Amino acid sequence: MTHIAMPIILVLLAIAFTIAIQRIGAQGSATWPGRAPFLGGGLPETHAWQRFHVRYYPMAVLFIAFEMEMMFMYPWAVVYVETGPVALAEMGMFLGILSIGILYGWREGVFRWQ
Amino acid sequence: MSLLSALARGAEIPIFAATGTRGLALVERLARRPGLRLVASPRHARVLLVAGAVDAAHQRALERLHAQVPPPRGTVWWQAPPLFARGETVAGDDPLPAIRRAAMANDPDQRPDVPPHPWQGMGPHGQGGTGMMGGNPHGRPMAMTAEDIRDGLALDAYTARFGPFLPMLPPGLVMDLTLQGDVIVSAHVASPPFDQGPEGDRPAPCAARMLRLMGIGPRAARARGALLALSKGSGTRRRLSAWLRGEEVTETPEPLPDALPGLEWAEAVLWLASFPPSRLRAACMQGQAA
Repeated sequence: MTHIAMPIILVLLAIAFTIAIQRIGAQGSATWPGRAPFLGGGLPETHAWQRFHVRYYPMAVLFIAFEMEMMFMYPWAVVYVETGPVALAEMGMFLGILSIGILYGWREGVFRWQ
Repeated sequence: MSLLSALARGAEIPIFAATGTRGLALVERLARRPGLRLVASPRHARVLLVAGAVDAAHQRALERLHAQVPPPRGTVWWQAPPLFARGETVAGDDPLPAIRRAAMANDPDQRPDVPPHPWQGMGPHGQGGTGMMGGNPHGRPMAMTAEDIRDGLALDAYTARFGPFLPMLPPGLVMDLTLQGDVIVSAHVASPPFDQGPEGDRPAPCAARMLRLMGIGPRAARARGALLALSKGSGTRRRLSAWLRGEEVTETPEPLPDALPGLEWAEAVLWLASFPPSRLRAACMQGQAA
């Protein structure tokens, strides 16, 4: 019984908490001009919803590429001797796919120190 | 008076200063007074302080600021004729008592409670139209990608009218800017900065304003290497150093539409603040006349 009741109670608590937080943060009283973006008295011509480039993105791609390489290489090194050329071919394919990410990072200038 | 309200009276009053004609030196002097705190956004303020006269052309902008101070709000017109019937007028040198009274006040709304842009669109939230970015939510089109001038990354171009009371821009300066990320792509001066008089060109208020924009205190500015954060080659560091030594700066900026594109927002803000207000005003007016 507890196994069924506990999750339900937890879910209900979570919902109640969410609604309470929403009520606390509610700004129903803010007027339309009060909610407009602050531009020092000016008005925007374009909607504020826009795409913004994450500048660390190429660096993150590079990090993940090398990290995944290492993550796979440790267990691969353990079984390499008994598995033989098949393991070598698999690692070659894996590195081939990862190197696309590294080449992409290269093109984006991630290896250029600025 | 309860203990709580007595404690609350001792708290700093967050004020948003809308600087008008000859108001820059007034605001910089006021910023050093204890008991109040200049905030960078009206949303963080309790009191809207209009320091120095503002011409009637900017009344709508002031009204928008007034609406953006969350209620309860107060208004003080310091050495400025009121442009709308809210708050208190102070003609003298000390607005602090009036600010304290305004911190207790609760001005009614000045702007009508209607959307600033007319509603356009098919759906209940202005959505609709063709494509993923279709529709005009609240009458403002979505930003679309445009050619990038920095590094070839095509980002969304955001166009807006900034000023005249944006605290990081010289008071009164209204610019139509197009930004891609934080890079200024194009700039057009719609209205020159307000006249600040010879008082506004003095080294002390100019240096104080620039240090406030950089977020470092006056003592920290004397530390070795404090100004190294300013970009090299733009002359910003040289001019601030001159002000800190107490020397007047007499350089005139090149026209803003030529100088600003390519700069990042933070660089542009400090570049603009590194010129004496009178020189900047002259350059903007020359550019408008041309």
